[in-house]
Amino acid sequence: MTTTATIRYSHTVGSLSNQGRGLQNPVDVALDSHGVMYVVSRAGPEIPLRMPYKRITMCTVDEEYLGEFGTGGTGPGEFWWPSALAFDSSDRLYLADEALNRITVFSTTGEVLDLWGEAGSSTGQLNGPSGLVFGLDGNLLITDSGNHRIQKFSTDGKFLASWGSHGSDEGQFNTPWGIAVDSQGNVYVSDWGNDRIQKLTSDGGFLQQFPAPGSTPREEERLNRPAGLSVDDEGRILVADWGNERVRVLSSQGVSIATLRGDSRTPSWANEYFEANPEEGTLRLEADLSPDLEPPQGLPAVSDREESANIEKLFWGPTSVRSDGRGNVMVVDSCRHRVQVYRWDGQ
Amino acid sequence: MTQSSVVRHDQAEAELSLMAHLMRRAGFGVSFEELEKYTAQGYEATVEQLLHPEEAPPWDDALIRRYHVDQNSLMLIESSQSYWLYRMINSKRPLEEKVALFWHGLFATAYGKLNHAKAVVNQTETFRCHGLGTFRNLLSELSRDPAMIFWLDNKDNHKDAPNENYGRELLELFSMGIGTYSEADVKAAARAFTGWTIANQDYMSVRASRDSIWPHGRLDWQFQYRPDDHDDTEKTFLNQTGRFNGEDVLDIICGHPASSWFLAGKLYAFFVSDRPDETATQVIAEDLRRTGGDVRSALRTIFTSDFFKAEEARYAKVKSPAEVVAGVARMAGAFGAPHWSIVNLALDANFMGQEILNPPTVEGWHTGTEWVDTGTLMERVNSAALLVGDPKQPGVQGIIRRLREDQTSYAPEALVDSCLTLSGVLEVSEATRRELTAFVASQGTVSFEPLAGGGCAEQRVADLLQLIVSTREFQMA
Repeated sequence: MTTTATIRYSHTVGSLSNQGRGLQNPVDVALDSHGVMYVVSRAGPEIPLRMPYKRITMCTVDEEYLGEFGTGGTGPGEFWWPSALAFDSSDRLYLADEALNRITVFSTTGEVLDLWGEAGSSTGQLNGPSGLVFGLDGNLLITDSGNHRIQKFSTDGKFLASWGSHGSDEGQFNTPWGIAVDSQGNVYVSDWGNDRIQKLTSDGGFLQQFPAPGSTPREEERLNRPAGLSVDDEGRILVADWGNERVRVLSSQGVSIATLRGDSRTPSWANEYFEANPEEGTLRLEADLSPDLEPPQGLPAVSDREESANIEKLFWGPTSVRSDGRGNVMVVDSCRHRVQVYRWDGQ
Repeated sequence: MTQSSVVRHDQAEAELSLMAHLMRRAGFGVSFEELEKYTAQGYEATVEQLLHPEEAPPWDDALIRRYHVDQNSLMLIESSQSYWLYRMINSKRPLEEKVALFWHGLFATAYGKLNHAKAVVNQTETFRCHGLGTFRNLLSELSRDPAMIFWLDNKDNHKDAPNENYGRELLELFSMGIGTYSEADVKAAARAFTGWTIANQDYMSVRASRDSIWPHGRLDWQFQYRPDDHDDTEKTFLNQTGRFNGEDVLDIICGHPASSWFLAGKLYAFFVSDRPDETATQVIAEDLRRTGGDVRSALRTIFTSDFFKAEEARYAKVKSPAEVVAGVARMAGAFGAPHWSIVNLALDANFMGQEILNPPTVEGWHTGTEWVDTGTLMERVNSAALLVGDPKQPGVQGIIRRLREDQTSYAPEALVDSCLTLSGVLEVSEATRRELTAFVASQGTVSFEPLAGGGCAEQRVADLLQLIVSTREFQMA
């Protein structure tokens, strides 16, 4: 595939808040059939005071806040370590929980429709489900990270299949994270601990891996602990390159199309605060939020992670990338409590 | 029934016992298997290994940051405390973490005023990187550390309006000690550090004072030197005169005998004993003077000295709460992988009186017997007992496996002796040993024979371990 399209930063949705309009350590976003964004805040640590910080926020890509539901806990509709979201074709929202090892199914208004999953390492059991996607057959694929495998379930939680084992060979995994499906039904898995993406057939047969073994990948194709990923309508692979604090846009053959490092500007959700606190708002405008950084004594360079902690606009812990099919690409920026939105130009 | 083979005698036992002492002080305690390994390689070689943490693999925190996303951003204090505890428990560089804890207690900087947990975490990273180098270099790094600049108001120390807070504490609490300098020296030191500030000082100050997290959480601070705000005029400091800047002041401090004596006393109190000893302190101070303040050399002198190895130095320190929780977790083999309940360990240490990253004042914590009162003692015992009382914990499983491999059944005394050994070669008083033995004896011989109910034996071992970590001796280092 050739493309002349370029990807550019558009705007940012979300800012930090403990409750109400805002996010706290969001880790994934899913879009319903109307294009409404559902963003799940994982927050933490898990102490009673902070449990309400966990929630699912509903908003539009144009920054309209629509409400929230869910909270931290172990009861129905509550979650402990929420990790991933996916909508089925009937607008039912599936949420994976890596601590409770279960899947909760919500309606678009937050009612609990179903709840299933069992902890363990036997077939059909879960140990840290960290990625969700629906296959073309309508069944749910789950990256079972602690068991280093992919499992397939029916929408009501019936076990159907399991692929992979712990290792670094083709078709094996090391603590996989994100999972995606392309228009042909092929499956892509972020093989986190092996620093690669594996492409599999719809029934788990190994097809390819990126970067290709034995090749000398260009720097922008070298992955470091890849997290959430998706494949857009054009077949491009969008992956949150978590360990590199970047987003990689790759062709279907793993060739680099673009690398994003983060470009965030102040979102409209923060405006009211700065209007109410003009002194802080003015000082913020005067401040240099992209300061030059000196490497610590004895080190050759500032690490990507530390650069992200110092420079506000950069991604810090990107965990998920989603395409909305309308030209928007949403990057969940977990440590900055926001979603950076990019747009394809010329497409 | 024969005596368990894990209980050694004479020379072998003495070597294990000394190694256990070293690992309690230079680390957070180790398992019996590790003790055997260290003992096999020899005491001096182990000291050298500890003194060179850079030769051991660095801590890989990726899995922790993946599952605890709040420990990736390190915005909240409990997240940051949990993150450090993971490191104390899992680091392959025990002395690096212990030294970081030492400097954190000495250069006590607290989250409470900064409203910026990661800034204090970053400061501890400086202690890891430079804490075994020279005192002079560490003071230089400390004076540039944004958390310290914020904590002691050096951002408000201006050419035309000096703020003496950092200059005063530098001399009194960080490097020389009261009575070794004059009030005029404080003023001169403060003037020398004018212009040592952080970038975007006004914005960052307003954010900190309001605890503002808008719009995207905390922003790391950067050191900034502003020559236009530095008082470049002549100063007289500790009887020397010149147009001193901060680095000159640090040179003069580190060339003064008071600084080596000061640091020697602090090192002795942290690594050797809660009871001061002038002769031993003099030995350490002389080493510091001879080496230009080389902390690694001073620690080598300490760990290989007779005063460190002496019986009187064994169990001569009350463990700090961080040592208790990290040590018990290491013994239980807990938290080798991410688990949400790590935060409970951090809270336990807080309840015991040590909020790491948030000391009560710039003077740090009051240590020694002041760690323990009736309330904190209960916390210490309950927290420790919770982890080792779970036979599923990998470390407890390891102790049970070792016992089972060794013998199929244990008389009460034999079980107590073996468990004390497997708990890191813990030496207890006869009275304590009698109590532990009576506890086991109340339910008779412990047998791992399948017909005797091996599961019951496992729980009895865990019950005994709970009692062992509750002893006075376990609470001491």
